[in-house]
Amino acid sequence: MMQMAEFMQDYWVGLSATSQDIARLVALLLPAMLVGIAATRRYRPFGMIGAMIWRFRWTNALFVALIAVSVGLGVGLIAQERGLRQGSAHAAAKFDLIVSAPGSEIEMLLAAVFLQPTDAPLIEGETYDRIAHHDNVVLAAPLAYGDSYRAAPVIGTTAGFVEHLSGTLAQGRPFSAHGEAVIGARVDLKLGDSFVPAHGHGDGADHDAHAGHGYTVVGRMARSGSPWDRAILVPVEAVWEVHGLASGHAPGHEEDIGPPFDPAYFPGTPAVLVRATALWANYALHSEFTTERTMAFFPGAVLARLHSLLGDVRQAMSVMAMLTQLLVTAGVLTGLVIVTRLYARRLALMRALGAPARFVFAVVWGYAAILIGIGSAIGVTIGFAATRIISAIVTARTDIDVHASLDWPEFHLVAGFVSLTLLLALLPAFAALRRPVIADLRT
Amino acid sequence: MGLPLAISDLQVHGDDRRPILRIEALEIPSGCRLGIRGPSGAGKSTLLMALAGLAPASSGTIFWGDTDLSQMSEAERARFRRRHVGMIFQDFLLFEELTALANASLAAAYADADRRKQIREGAAAMLDHLGLGAHASRSVASFSGGERQRVAIARALAADPPVLLADEPTASLDRASADRLIDDLAALAAQKGTTLVVVSHDPAMYARMDRVVGIVDGRLVE
Ligand SMILES: Nc1ncnc2c1ncn2[C@@H]1O[C@H](COP(=O)(O)OP(=O)(O)OP(=O)(O)O)[C@@H](O)[C@H]1O
Ligand SMILES: [Mg+2]
Repeated sequence: MMQMAEFMQDYWVGLSATSQDIARLVALLLPAMLVGIAATRRYRPFGMIGAMIWRFRWTNALFVALIAVSVGLGVGLIAQERGLRQGSAHAAAKFDLIVSAPGSEIEMLLAAVFLQPTDAPLIEGETYDRIAHHDNVVLAAPLAYGDSYRAAPVIGTTAGFVEHLSGTLAQGRPFSAHGEAVIGARVDLKLGDSFVPAHGHGDGADHDAHAGHGYTVVGRMARSGSPWDRAILVPVEAVWEVHGLASGHAPGHEEDIGPPFDPAYFPGTPAVLVRATALWANYALHSEFTTERTMAFFPGAVLARLHSLLGDVRQAMSVMAMLTQLLVTAGVLTGLVIVTRLYARRLALMRALGAPARFVFAVVWGYAAILIGIGSAIGVTIGFAATRIISAIVTARTDIDVHASLDWPEFHLVAGFVSLTLLLALLPAFAALRRPVIADLRT
Repeated sequence: MGLPLAISDLQVHGDDRRPILRIEALEIPSGCRLGIRGPSGAGKSTLLMALAGLAPASSGTIFWGDTDLSQMSEAERARFRRRHVGMIFQDFLLFEELTALANASLAAAYADADRRKQIREGAAAMLDHLGLGAHASRSVASFSGGERQRVAIARALAADPPVLLADEPTASLDRASADRLIDDLAALAAQKGTTLVVVSHDPAMYARMDRVVGIVDGRLVE
């Protein structure tokens, strides 16, 4: 016995994820399928079922709608949460490690990765220099926020970061001088366009502060599915310069752009994106730059914490969706009992004519099964459609690519729901069999 | 071919344990056409239900040929009806949502696989015979009372049963439809040798029967 269990365990673990998912789905549907086969075997109840569905078509349509909405709710919830989780993780994928001044990791994450405006304190030149010259660091890009052009945040950084973010550009080339800019894939400008950024963001932006410090677009990045698609990247030196700060380079080299920077003339940066030589080195850097004066964090890890929070919210909402489903199930089953009563005379007729009890059972149960099946199928469609619409809205609002997809968890949920309700539908089916034939014939 | 009927010492009680039916002896040969008359509430329908094995006998025996219904389980009685009994009711009891043919071949839905085809063909032939062949694929919702009752006859005879039980089959028909139905019923029964038991208030029906018995207060009177 023990050996058998062990063998099964080993066997299960050895299966591929897809096989496991399929096995789960089948296991969830199996009880209902077995009941269905046992009930309908050797009979042709579908004509009667069709007659029953047609006879109470409006009531049945209502049942199907109720089932569809409650299933759609559950499916939509799971699919939406996964879409948000995957979309935000994808948007943060290029941001291995961020070093900033101490503060809130979540706030820094929102500012540095998702480009939400903040007033972050700066880290100064010496610290930056230590990061930039660390043996294990491949890329240390300063990220200077604060300006904007129309809705697009203007971010000062290095050409190395542009390359890191976009790989090869979709159009043009990286910036190589103070007055040049590279735009995100969805910024409403063309190569060769010139613009003057405003100081600040949105309604509070000061449009005249940077008069005379215009940029010309020289390149466009490939689409990344993140808020960076709406961003404009310019040399960090240019941002410092328009704000009347040092240029980052020693006198006589003011026109240089990009690293190395001179710590003595480095005005400070709110965040540095760090790429390490290897994965393990990230952890070493993380602990090395977690100090009194600097904070290092993995955006992926912070996001994972947010996601688990999102998961908790989903769980809470799932409980509510489940309760809705239970209520709907109870309501629909009650409705089925009533409809079956309304049909009692026909069922009695069939039995009077000699139909076996199992046939009448198959008609009632099959009727319930078809309503539940259709309702669930429509529910999956509704849930998926709702997820697509919501995802499109979220994508439009946040520029985080949220993909609507259907995956195993939804199918498992629906399979569980279908199986459970089909087993519960045995009750009205058995109830129909217990009714007195002669009395029902007379009604 | 029909089946002979032999009832002895049959008693049927109601749910309230009141005796509804008490028949010492009734025998009819195979292929006999038996009419049953009697006042309302006398127990005519109850007798018919007992003959179909639907109203369980509290004592006595009902033999159709060698088969004693009183000794059978509910499932066995259903099986007996399926194989041997056709039934017609006063108010037709058709499936409004289905076509005439689907109604007439209802039994094919639960019959054994080897009989399905025979039932469907029997139903179609019967509709033809009753003059409804052209309307076989029409929904019965639009049928007249007489047409409906003829569909009910087709349903009862589709599987070519040896026994046909009819409970006031002409009660909701006008005179002309009733006469036509009586002709059809009597002719079909005679042609196939079906044992026919008809409960009716209609003297025209009695005239076409081989024998007519009365029931008063649950007891047989000739
Ligand atoms: N299950 C039952 N429990 C108690 N009484 C019953 C039951 N079934 C029938 N009865 C009673 O038995 C009597 C005979 O009923 P039945 O339906 O056989 O009459 P009938 O001769 O067919 O009358 P009608 O001509 O009006 O159709 C009636 O008084 C009826 O109320
Ligand atoms: Mg009666």
